[in-house]
Amino acid sequence: MRSANAMGIIFANMHDENIPELIARRTMASAPFAGRYRMIDFVLSGMSVAGMQNIGVVVRNNYQSLMDHLGNGREWDLSRKRGGLAIFPPGAQGAGNGSQGRIEALGNVIDYLSFNKEELVVMSDCDIACDLDYAALIKEHSASGADVTVVYEKAPIKDSLLEDNITYVLGQDGYVSEIRVNDYKKGMQNLSMSVYIIERELLLNVLKDAIVRGYESFEKDILARNLTILKVRGYEYTGYRARISDMRSYFDENLRLLEHENLKALFPKERQVYTKVRDEAPVRYAIGSQVTNCIVADGCIIEGEVENSVLFRGVRVGKGVKIKNCVIMQGTVIEPGAQMENVVTDKNVKVCEGVSLRGAKGFPVFVGKGQCVE
Amino acid sequence: MKECVAMLLAGGQGSRLYALTHKLAKPAVPFGGKYRIIDFPLSNCVNSGIDTVGILTQYQPLVLNDYIGNGQPWDLDRLYGGVHVLPPYQKATRSDWYKGTANAIYQNINFIERYNPQYVLILSGDHIYKMDYDKMLDFHKETKADCTIAVLEVPMEETNRFGIMTTDKKGRITKFEEKPKKTESTLASMGVYIFTWDKLKAALEKDEADKNSENDFGKNIIPDMLATKRRLMAYPFEGYWKDVGTIDSLWEANMDLLDPNMPLDVWDPSWKIYSRTAGRPPHYIASGARVENSMITEGCTVEGELESVVLFAGAKVGRDAVVRDSIIMPGAVVEDGAQVNYAIIAEDAVIQKGAVVGARPEHMADVSKWGVAVVAEGVTIGAGAKVPPKAMVEQDVKDGDKA
Repeated sequence: MRSANAMGIIFANMHDENIPELIARRTMASAPFAGRYRMIDFVLSGMSVAGMQNIGVVVRNNYQSLMDHLGNGREWDLSRKRGGLAIFPPGAQGAGNGSQGRIEALGNVIDYLSFNKEELVVMSDCDIACDLDYAALIKEHSASGADVTVVYEKAPIKDSLLEDNITYVLGQDGYVSEIRVNDYKKGMQNLSMSVYIIERELLLNVLKDAIVRGYESFEKDILARNLTILKVRGYEYTGYRARISDMRSYFDENLRLLEHENLKALFPKERQVYTKVRDEAPVRYAIGSQVTNCIVADGCIIEGEVENSVLFRGVRVGKGVKIKNCVIMQGTVIEPGAQMENVVTDKNVKVCEGVSLRGAKGFPVFVGKGQCVE
Repeated sequence: MKECVAMLLAGGQGSRLYALTHKLAKPAVPFGGKYRIIDFPLSNCVNSGIDTVGILTQYQPLVLNDYIGNGQPWDLDRLYGGVHVLPPYQKATRSDWYKGTANAIYQNINFIERYNPQYVLILSGDHIYKMDYDKMLDFHKETKADCTIAVLEVPMEETNRFGIMTTDKKGRITKFEEKPKKTESTLASMGVYIFTWDKLKAALEKDEADKNSENDFGKNIIPDMLATKRRLMAYPFEGYWKDVGTIDSLWEANMDLLDPNMPLDVWDPSWKIYSRTAGRPPHYIASGARVENSMITEGCTVEGELESVVLFAGAKVGRDAVVRDSIIMPGAVVEDGAQVNYAIIAEDAVIQKGAVVGARPEHMADVSKWGVAVVAEGVTIGAGAKVPPKAMVEQDVKDGDKA
């Protein structure tokens, strides 16, 4: 495929506050998901597969794990002489106080936006794992003649999103007539997926003006204020999506992949999702192991019983262990005889012999990174 | 300059793997769920600190070339050194295929000399083992050997399959017999040699000048070095090693991965086996599936029953299908209700609904007719069709037929 005439900007830390336990030492972008991925893999792979070869990741804090994950971008085919992956910590292109706003963040990469040659800029956050066809999005945006295309899903506003949602009111023509911030209405809404596509020159212009005026929010201060001047068009995404809006949804969305149709929908054959390769051996199922309705990543050794669970890479499940409805992250060791139900363990947790750990279905127990449960 | 350069002989056809090597060279045959045979010597090299490897290819090199690429999965993409695929090439005056293992190295003397090494490690691409070549190199240096051959003890009844070494008390090789019918010793060559380069170079040049030579390490180079009183040492290796040159041994080596005593441990983080992977989602075990004593990797879907099975990337086993004591290679599909016993199902083959492949020895009236059944790459076994044990199926079998 010819390279797309669009560059990408990915915001790594947006929506961090939704999952405080998980982002204690990482970003939303590097939150582990679906057994062997990080949330950013879905965005980054989607852009790369669409032929975008110039992608900047804007990070604010806690980004060591993300840097480690991304490396030079080779795994996403973004280790390029011309373009490729670029990571922008605060102050990477001048001052920068690491504030939360998207305008501030974009202001931080204004030189990067200026010296590149692509006609369009696609911006995305990392809180939704989905199979967005960026090539189709770019094509439709270009054909429509809109100034900005915003991607939305039809969904109700969950309680967990009450303080973190943007909704669009769309006219008959598919153009946005009103943008609402943190709406509370019940029922189906055109809920923003925080994916925007805009002409690069236009973005630079509105950005410079917004910075001069001390604006912070791209949606509130640039888009919502200028709907009479800017033609903002909606693009509905109808495919599979997993939105991480709180710890509960993190748990639920991992387990929802146990429906085989969902797993297949998130990982379609035609658009591969790339991630860092860790060279783990295949999973070993010992004699006496019993596993049903699970997704299991490489490197695990399973000797016990596992049901309705997602096992990330390199998990050890000892003899006599019983696990049900759990999300077990990379490197967790569950010693013989332990029992767990409705538990999320972060990376490298150890659950000692004979321990019993139980959360409620709607309230999973979370065990933080590297902890030992005795 | 590099102290030691490895040369990996990967040109062999592997004719005793029959249908499995029609389209690819033996070192490229899939192994152990997510590997290919060549991953073992390559990973051994990089784990032993050897970062310069020449891979000698000749037979069906396309898959192998593609697989090796720039060597990045093995950390062998280096500015100086790294991995190089070395097919036979045309010279100013003449051009030759590689006539034998020694001739393959002879034709690449220039490659080796670019690195000006003191030692050259010769490996073959058809053995499964984990070995620290650095320790062997230390042994080679300590014993001031001209050539060190890695050896392991084999049962007396198997000595006729190997190059057999006889040594004195200090491990110096006094006799070398290639596949002897009868012998005193049980020390078998593993096909892993370290040579002091100037000694090997001289031997290769001498061998090349000999018109009657078969240009083979085991048949010519080693016997000649012995005859000329070179210092040849046997380096004893303890650990798992298997030549996977036949259907049975390939099947057995895969089954060894499932042995509870883990004679071949690929899960050890201190000696990783690297491979080039397509990167698929984690595998899926459906409710109602039953998996025991098996190995499963990324991209697989299991809805049926597995017992003692190695499932390769992207393989699928349907509902009520029963697979036992078998290896199912990448992308192969065992459809609903099919039965597979003691079989190798090669890449992208399809065993359609209700088909039966292979049999269990205990169910055979005549056990002498039993053996591992093989379904070759891309072959479809039609619904309800039967493939008997020991069969080698290279063409599609229609619904209900018998192969």
